[in-house]
Amino acid sequence: MPSASDRTRGSGLTTALKIVGILALAAAVLSFPSFAANPFILSVGVVIMSYAVLATGWNFVGGFTGYMSLGHAAYSGLGGYATALLIIESGINPWLALVLGALLTAVIAVPVGIASLRVRGASFVIVSIAFVLILQLVFQSWGEFTGGSNGLRVPRPFGPDVLRPEQHERFFYLHAAVLAIALLTWWLIDRSRFGIGLKAIREDEDKAQALGIPTFNYKLVAFVVSAFFTAVGGGLYALWFGFLDPIFQFSILIGSYMVLMSLLGGIRSLFGPMLGALVVGYSVEFFKNEYGDTQFHLVATGLLLGLVVLFMPDGVLPALAALLRRFRPQESSIREVTQAELAEQRNSDPITQGAKR
Amino acid sequence: MSLFVQSLVLGVLLGGLYALLAAGLTLYFGVMRVVMIAHSAFLILAAYLAWVFTRETGLDPLLSMVGTVPLFFVVGVAIQRLLMARLRPATLTMMSVLLTFSIALVIEGMLGWLFTGTQRRVRLPYGGADFEAAGANVAVVKLIAFVLAALSLLALYLLLTRTRFGQALRATIQHPEAARLVGIDTDRTAGYGFGIGLATAAIGGTALALDSTIYPSLHWHWIGPLMAIIVVGGLGSIPGAAIAAMILGIGQALLQIPLNTTWAQTIFYVALFVTLMVRPQGFFGGRLAQRF
Amino acid sequence: MTALHEQGAGQQESVRIGLAATGLSKAFGGVRAVHDATVAFHHGKINALIGPNGSGKTTFFNCVTGMIKPDSGTVTYYGADITGKAPHRIARAGVGRSFQLCRIFPRMTALENVLAAVRPPSKTRLLASAHHHGDVARARELLSRVGIEHLEGAEARALSYGQQKLLELAGVLMADPDTIMLDEPAGGVNPALIERIAGLVRSLNAEGKTFIVVEHNMELVMSLSDHVVVFDRGSQISEGPPSVVQNDPRVLEAYLGV
Repeated sequence: MPSASDRTRGSGLTTALKIVGILALAAAVLSFPSFAANPFILSVGVVIMSYAVLATGWNFVGGFTGYMSLGHAAYSGLGGYATALLIIESGINPWLALVLGALLTAVIAVPVGIASLRVRGASFVIVSIAFVLILQLVFQSWGEFTGGSNGLRVPRPFGPDVLRPEQHERFFYLHAAVLAIALLTWWLIDRSRFGIGLKAIREDEDKAQALGIPTFNYKLVAFVVSAFFTAVGGGLYALWFGFLDPIFQFSILIGSYMVLMSLLGGIRSLFGPMLGALVVGYSVEFFKNEYGDTQFHLVATGLLLGLVVLFMPDGVLPALAALLRRFRPQESSIREVTQAELAEQRNSDPITQGAKR
Repeated sequence: MSLFVQSLVLGVLLGGLYALLAAGLTLYFGVMRVVMIAHSAFLILAAYLAWVFTRETGLDPLLSMVGTVPLFFVVGVAIQRLLMARLRPATLTMMSVLLTFSIALVIEGMLGWLFTGTQRRVRLPYGGADFEAAGANVAVVKLIAFVLAALSLLALYLLLTRTRFGQALRATIQHPEAARLVGIDTDRTAGYGFGIGLATAAIGGTALALDSTIYPSLHWHWIGPLMAIIVVGGLGSIPGAAIAAMILGIGQALLQIPLNTTWAQTIFYVALFVTLMVRPQGFFGGRLAQRF
Repeated sequence: MTALHEQGAGQQESVRIGLAATGLSKAFGGVRAVHDATVAFHHGKINALIGPNGSGKTTFFNCVTGMIKPDSGTVTYYGADITGKAPHRIARAGVGRSFQLCRIFPRMTALENVLAAVRPPSKTRLLASAHHHGDVARARELLSRVGIEHLEGAEARALSYGQQKLLELAGVLMADPDTIMLDEPAGGVNPALIERIAGLVRSLNAEGKTFIVVEHNMELVMSLSDHVVVFDRGSQISEGPPSVVQNDPRVLEAYLGV
């Protein structure tokens, strides 16, 4: 887990290894378009990158504060529609529209956050689902503005001379750039005082507040940042795909993909949601291609989500990492001390468990 | 004027069904602090079972309750004992939402798989029958659905207030630690609370099947309003949920006069946001709601 | 805010009041957990809050620190009204607290647990690294003061209960409160650790920290505290120096139920 604590422990060697790893990852991502055999595979790559942006955006609130939003499709959908409508209605530059659309979505997220974050968990979840449902209703009904159920055609940002494969490639890199910015922001927050406060909220909100952390403000900021990045992801997708339909934009399923990807990859880690997006995104596209749009993907998503929640709430990748660590013989001296302390204190454990509420 | 009366009557009839279902949702929240997203998915499942029952046997869909109500009760107990009880208390609220959400997805997907996304409707000999009352035209099926919901709510009320089990259940809802101290097996009580909650979905689903067209993704149109109702009523308060259900049900029906059906549905969401902004603990709720 | 206060032995001494509650009440359903409680804690002293089980001490703690909103009454801190303020505001006003049964951030390291209590000098510094060297140095100093500096890299959940209690105290100290409220610091820990915690309380008190301690261990209360407040059925029934309170018939009645 690349959390802030690692740096105090980590030696120069691990830092170097990490840098090499990140460079290798970046190289792999950036070289993908040149290896992609055909435009279809490239388009799958764009979809997966889009999922990665959305899941990483989701993880600003889910990972840091532990508040699971099931309706984050609301913000990707708003980002998409805002971008499209800004271009259509005011004719501004598409890239400017993308940024403005995301900012607008972040502004809309403020009252939603105020309503849902003042009290603990349950209201947040209820509002997160309710908000995406209400947006679906509104965007379907408000035909003359949003195109309604007929959908909305999004103007292409690149001219007609840019052919389809070229489009895919450009959007792949654009998504990669946005993903890099999102990851960098997440990393900056993770190592900051703000981030440690957010993680304290995730661990024990009462305790965090008793230590003087203004929990509501912290949660709200994380939530709005999350909405912003999710909206950028949605807007970029809209520009690439070129068509918006309220049923798909404000879909519960898209929101649950974001949760599943992040949870699967591990919400406490920087690259978790991205790796989750790779696994889930690839499977989703594979199944769609093999079996078409059946109801089966609902069942599969549901089952997978349920299994992860029940058996691996920390994520599959962290669970695998823990398994690997068990086979590694050497550990730092700190670990030995705690192991000894643990053995000595086994009998007082029930009390500790009780203290964890 | 007659349109107004007509809508008012429709609102009351609808409000009754909302009240029953919201009571179920409140029960889960009360006994375990769980927001049961799959509640409405089970509602639709029960409606499908009623539809299949009638299609296969030709009998009245109401008779399907003989099977679905006990079945759903057992399934509810099983969900609590086998799934919810496994979750860590520290993350229970969030993880239970994800878990019940995944159950909802599985049910929706299975329904779509088995019955396709086609809209279905139970054919009833009295399906088109109606009568005039106080200037309003009332469909018989709607009245039956309302009576069913009202009787179930009454039974639930009597169960909660008149029986020893009801007392244990209320104690568990209000103060689990204190309930344990006076010797109540709160785990078992929570299980039965879940069972009863799910049984309301079985009854509600049958009532729904009488006069509605059903399709797999219909449950999303129910869970949103139901969640709004329990927040407005105050999380954990059954009377609060019933009152809020009635008010919002009537409000929805009345709003359908000037607006169309879709826009009228937004009343639930507007009420939800207003409640959370003005009075996050809900309008009729107790202290429970303050911290959730 | 200075008040003349009647002391048990008869002599008059000028006492400064820090945290105080007037007519504080809180009911849960029909149960009056705190009922019309009027209490004044002395500045710079080790105050103890004692009372039989269920006498409302923890609820009183929670009302005073903003975790629960009282139904009526006022809470003041050096004269300023803090009734019903958000917990983090009360914390920032200088009141730190521990929890009954001890609460730490289980999945964060011991060092991060302490660092979480840092108050950034300004909002712009919020994005500065949490491992700011000054903060880390102070956190390490506090961990070593409570005696668990060797565990700084361990996840808090891997610590023993006693170590978690010490860690919680270090976190509270990091926020640099003037008044420290401890809810049963000796509960569930071994005698050696009780001595260590008592020693810490004494030395911190000598450095000027005011303490308010809820405790069941009478031996500890009597040896540690300067001023004792006794609760029964949600309100104060007696107060004074330990020696006086110990012999108060009302206290004996409350404890023995005669």
